[in-house]
Amino acid sequence: MTAATLTYISCNKSDNSSPGNTDDFATLEKTVLTDFTNNVAIAGYLDLDNKATVLNDAVQALNTTTNEANLTAARNAWKGIRTVWELSEGYLFGPVEDNEYDPQTDTWPTDYVQMDSLLASSNPLAISDLQQLDYSLRGYHPLEYILFGVDGNVPASGITARQKTYMVSLATDIKNVCHALYTSWIAAPTNFGQMVTTAGEGSTVYAKKQEVYIKIAEGMIGICEEVGRSSENTGKIYEPFIAKDSNIVESPYSENSMTDFKNNIIGAYNVYLGKYVTQGKGFTDLVKAKNTSLDNTIKQKFEAAISSFDNVTMSFEKAIFEQRTQLQTIMDKLSDLKTTLDEQLNPFVIQYIKD
Amino acid sequence: MKKFWVIVSLSIAVLVFSMCNKADVFPDSGYDDRLSGGMATVFDETSKAFTNMVPGLSERDAIVHGQGDKSFEQTFVTAPAPVNSGLGPIYNNVSCISCHHNDGKGTPTVGAPNSSMLFRMSIPGTDEHGGPLIAAGFGAQLQDKAIVGRQPEVKIDISYTDLPVTYPDGSTVTLRNPHYKVLQNYLPMPASYMLTLRLAPPVFGAGLLENIPEQTILSYADENDADNDGISGKPNYVYNPYTKKTELGRFGLKANTSSILVQVASAYQQDMGVTNYVFPQESSFGQIQDDGYKDDPELPDTLLNAVAFYIKSLAVPARRNVLDAELKKGEAIFTQINCSGCHKPTVQTGVDVSLPQVSGQRIHPYTDLLLHDMGDDLADNRPDFKATGKEWRTMPLWGIGLFQKTNGTPFYLHDGRARTLEEAILWHGGEATASKTKFMQLAAEDRTRLIKFLGSL
Repeated sequence: MTAATLTYISCNKSDNSSPGNTDDFATLEKTVLTDFTNNVAIAGYLDLDNKATVLNDAVQALNTTTNEANLTAARNAWKGIRTVWELSEGYLFGPVEDNEYDPQTDTWPTDYVQMDSLLASSNPLAISDLQQLDYSLRGYHPLEYILFGVDGNVPASGITARQKTYMVSLATDIKNVCHALYTSWIAAPTNFGQMVTTAGEGSTVYAKKQEVYIKIAEGMIGICEEVGRSSENTGKIYEPFIAKDSNIVESPYSENSMTDFKNNIIGAYNVYLGKYVTQGKGFTDLVKAKNTSLDNTIKQKFEAAISSFDNVTMSFEKAIFEQRTQLQTIMDKLSDLKTTLDEQLNPFVIQYIKD
Repeated sequence: MKKFWVIVSLSIAVLVFSMCNKADVFPDSGYDDRLSGGMATVFDETSKAFTNMVPGLSERDAIVHGQGDKSFEQTFVTAPAPVNSGLGPIYNNVSCISCHHNDGKGTPTVGAPNSSMLFRMSIPGTDEHGGPLIAAGFGAQLQDKAIVGRQPEVKIDISYTDLPVTYPDGSTVTLRNPHYKVLQNYLPMPASYMLTLRLAPPVFGAGLLENIPEQTILSYADENDADNDGISGKPNYVYNPYTKKTELGRFGLKANTSSILVQVASAYQQDMGVTNYVFPQESSFGQIQDDGYKDDPELPDTLLNAVAFYIKSLAVPARRNVLDAELKKGEAIFTQINCSGCHKPTVQTGVDVSLPQVSGQRIHPYTDLLLHDMGDDLADNRPDFKATGKEWRTMPLWGIGLFQKTNGTPFYLHDGRARTLEEAILWHGGEATASKTKFMQLAAEDRTRLIKFLGSL
């Protein structure tokens, strides 16, 4: 009995009881939100906006001079923006969802049957026409199909005149949407960055800071589930893996899926660390302030999950058949990370971030 | 002998206590006002407030719910395709979520990727089941989109004119009165056609509504207004194409659908052109747009069942700020001016052993699920089974205070014409005229209190 009492007493160290410490924590809560907004979200979306311009320029150049060099440049630009987009999926909340910027650029599956009919038809394909089309005919994946071709190696000479018109409108559309996404975080009418930084202090979206932290944690958990295997048996790796079907892979023509997946988790880790390029205060600092061991666990699980992707040495389409053990390991690591975030980070937020 | 007296006294005690406590419902004070959905309530006031599963599902049920959730969000594409094959050939939108944003209400536009409105059309008369008589070449619903190479049935143009309303205290509100025009119809429109439109409603809480006993709903009915309060209330009886029986209508804005399964199945087939085991025939069957593929049903049975279960097991968001004094006054006014005559605050659900969260729950849906004459201004003049052209089913009000969060810009009423709760109240007519008049006669601060109360739902 005495031992039990002692144990409980020693558990409850109340290290946050000193007023000074609490003030520091409150300041830190705000700093982390400000740094997340500026150093992660806005920095990420600015990069996306820039990469969309690069992609658009490359596609325009390919349209003007259709040669192998320009095709390679356009493919690289496509992969370039995909990297940034996938990183940004580590914080998939706010205008990207509310204003449907995500489905406008990243709807999956692409409607390939309809795309072929569209290309075979004489329907106008200017940007204004494209904007009337369903999301499954807009965004990154239809452009991927044109730039890479069904087997991933279409020659520049294989791109038809209709495809060129379509590709130019697609790239312009992506550029417009990415710019709108960036603007939505920094300027009226949405000014979402301000909604986050003023959480609990006048924000019309978040009455408490806790709400944003829950959103951020949900975002990290969500991407682990989306990439690996969710508790509902869905997931970008799990579904093609279990069905042994490479037709249901997300980026099949560029064979870019493994890179996409890894970038998703790096994006979530960036959120936790509070950095994109500039390092500020992150979620990690809040956790460290109260529970160093949890902070270490989370970092270790993130790093284990991210490095597990490197064990796959071929495209995802092939790995489904040939490197199943490695894919299973990735899913296990992601599930491990997800469980930690769900069962330890979430309660941490509820316990310590009250305002 | 001692044993005997013990038994007797115990029996008496049991009798006495059972007389005290009639084993009916507990008094109001014994409940937490926040629990709008009883055990099926969740505490979430974010933009995702309508998207939560009821708490405490078994592991297996949670998996089915999750698969339904995923399917609800999936974009369908033109057949033949390896994933989500079967969109169209004519349709209104490509996924459930593109109309029911965040499982909530949609945007009252047509033709755009995020548009959430659809039109139904019929001609005078009824079909063999007493339902609307459909016009040859169009079907029951007008699909305003088509895959490349096919023609949509119609395009619709929506415009609004201002309609000012003045309160007795002199303050004014400007309503917007919608007008609809059919354009680019692929066939001549039939004679005397009747059009009605629908803005996608929120989908949560349907499992609870489906589980309200029929006799409870019927007990609210007062078709001939025997109590003289100006409110009648009439059940709709509709044909269920799956059970092939006539049943009490609960879902749809005119209560023209009796079960979640049929509601979901008809949305797949009519809104997206995705055939399924309940409706195995393309919406374009017999029309020139038909794709002629022998791929029906396009939706796997398990997915239809999973989506139906998903809808059934979506939780109701809890109320907020229920102890606020102003809001309490608003709640009293709600009853005082008899909004509660149709928007029934408290209902008890029946037994469903398969899903305890919706079984025997004391819920606050603010609906009687009955049809009421709402006056000429809201009338669509298109009968639907027992519902006349002026009658609408009482809209559940739970979650209505969260529309702004779940939808960005909130819209109310069957066609989204109202942009604020106040506008929605002012559109009420017919059986709701007395309540609306009383609302207009309230002092401005009392009107604000009432709206504040609605905002807490």
